[in-house]
Amino acid sequence: MFPCILKQVTKNRTAVKRGYSTFKEVEKNSTSVTEMIKNELSLLKDGNIESTDRPAEKLLSTKESRETSIEPSVDYVKTLNQSTVRDYTGVYPYVKQGSVFASSINESDFLKELLKLGVNFYELERNLETIPFILGLRFEDVKDHIIFLRELGLEKHIIGQIITKNPFIFKEDLENLNVRVNYLQYKKFTNNMILRILEKNPNWLSYSTQDIDNKLGFFQNNFNLSGDEVRFLTVRCPKLITYNPEKIKLNIFVLKEEMGLLQEEMKKVILKKPKIFMNGQKRLLNTFDYLHNTMKIPIETIVEIPEILTCRQSRLKQRHLFLEKLGRAQYNPKKPNYVALASLVADSDSNFATELAKSSITVYNEFLKSL
Amino acid sequence: MVAQNAAAMWNALRGIVCVYKPAEASVRKLRRDLIMKICKGLNEVDENQYYRPFKPHTSNATELIQQSVDRSVDLRDHPLVYGPKFDELDLSLSWSNFLGWNTSGVLLFGLRSGTQSARYIRENRSSRAYRIKGVFGQATDTGFKNGKVVERSTWRHIKPFHFDKILSAMQAAHQKKMFEMSGIDMQSQLAYELAAQGPIRPINSKLPIIYGIKCIDYEGPEFTLEIQCINEYETYLVGLIHEIGVRLHSTAHCTAIKCIRHSYFNLDHALLSRHWDLKNILQNIRMCNRILAENEHVLKQTSIALR
Repeated sequence: MFPCILKQVTKNRTAVKRGYSTFKEVEKNSTSVTEMIKNELSLLKDGNIESTDRPAEKLLSTKESRETSIEPSVDYVKTLNQSTVRDYTGVYPYVKQGSVFASSINESDFLKELLKLGVNFYELERNLETIPFILGLRFEDVKDHIIFLRELGLEKHIIGQIITKNPFIFKEDLENLNVRVNYLQYKKFTNNMILRILEKNPNWLSYSTQDIDNKLGFFQNNFNLSGDEVRFLTVRCPKLITYNPEKIKLNIFVLKEEMGLLQEEMKKVILKKPKIFMNGQKRLLNTFDYLHNTMKIPIETIVEIPEILTCRQSRLKQRHLFLEKLGRAQYNPKKPNYVALASLVADSDSNFATELAKSSITVYNEFLKSL
Repeated sequence: MVAQNAAAMWNALRGIVCVYKPAEASVRKLRRDLIMKICKGLNEVDENQYYRPFKPHTSNATELIQQSVDRSVDLRDHPLVYGPKFDELDLSLSWSNFLGWNTSGVLLFGLRSGTQSARYIRENRSSRAYRIKGVFGQATDTGFKNGKVVERSTWRHIKPFHFDKILSAMQAAHQKKMFEMSGIDMQSQLAYELAAQGPIRPINSKLPIIYGIKCIDYEGPEFTLEIQCINEYETYLVGLIHEIGVRLHSTAHCTAIKCIRHSYFNLDHALLSRHWDLKNILQNIRMCNRILAENEHVLKQTSIALR
């Protein structure tokens, strides 16, 4: 395991305990919310629909967002059934993405505040669960979270991006967030490193300290990484750490058993190009198959330049066949007229045709149409 | 030449676009990519301009009007709230000829009101030309090179002479079938007049008919055929290669199928997926519309004769 200290775990536990206490507070709050809903529903019944500044659907969604911590009160459900108010949450899948928030942005000061941060509501609406959640929040609920992120040193627009990608960060308890950042500091991540992690992986703070510790330990054990190397990997590709572990295990299997890489070679690959472990298993194998069996590139070279594994097989095929037709498919650096594999993969088509193949882009276009 | 205004560009996006389909990609994926690229291009043209009316399902809305909105008062149209102005659902796009997974070559898409033209082209059964590569000596379970080899045989006895003989026999059989499929009594005056016009199209859209088949290249076990046909589909062409192999007392499988011509559209007109940007697509639409205007019978057939 990544040198996980017991003290840290206990700290996390206390945080969970504290979390309970705050949950209770939420419960208190929510009873007041149900009362509020009752009041407003009675207003609606009386026919003062226009006088209520909050539409009923928002209130319902307010209720829904709290359901994670409490059971819906029977009274509330009764009033809902008796009244003529409709639950609009079922409509969301059928309206155009972006139109739910568009319909309420002019009225809601909270949404306007989020817009000032640069939150992309269109993206938020992609996940239908976020609609009732966000509409049910008030600015007071999230103010502290935003101040917390700002105090960490994140730029305003980056906070907006984080909220866009992970709105459920507002569900997390503030003290838990603090513990999670403390954990990183404790593991000797510098402030800039932490900022980069949070920017590149907005979901990071939604994972508990225990989870993150396990995940870091998983990478350290599987690739024999030192503490510094774990930190390097985490900062290089923060998304990899919280990526689906099953898929990573599958890709480790692909590299180790199907491609036959050694333990040290795996380590080299993950430090040079961590993204490979997030690629699809089939795609990875297809590319490797073409590189190794058709282009006859030895595994040692692939380990040295792992970015060629991220290239799509079809693209590799097009370029290799073109070079082969011109008689330039020579990938051994020790022989003359060698073609650099890294630029074979990375270059744009026009650059490839003129610089690497010493031909012209029109010839290459013709060639592509002859495939 | 190309308008610098998204509304004008949107209004110009009508008609047929001719694209190049690579092998091992589905037509559905190409369609999705093309829609995505067009919408992305339109959204980047003038980011700060608003267009009305813009409601869900505007696919049938004819014209877009440029309109200025005070963003400080009305936030509903803010790009972060309403999302991209040109939604991928708003752009209707359909193909006029369907090419299978392993087939590459000319593919016609109809954009917006051009979907109607795409339908007419399909229903009018225009002829297509294919270039098919195959190999003698091995039969695979799918008939294509990606299948498992199930049978091996000798092929050295096959000479170009045998090859041509069998192909011309096939062509003759198909020409006979062509007249049978027209549904006319072969002994009548009408049948004579039709035959005098040259090849005719089948009455049914389900029956593949080959008008011309010839070997253009035969080296070692590898050969290339060029086929002019109607109503064909990928598995039919694969089966055809298999049949040729069997008739030559050997076995054969396909290695590549390429559509080189679809009615009047050929590979020179086809856009490579790398060139799918607004400027090239609009140019291509204009060019295709010109071809359609020059050859009216592609959209409106009056005669059974093949043209």
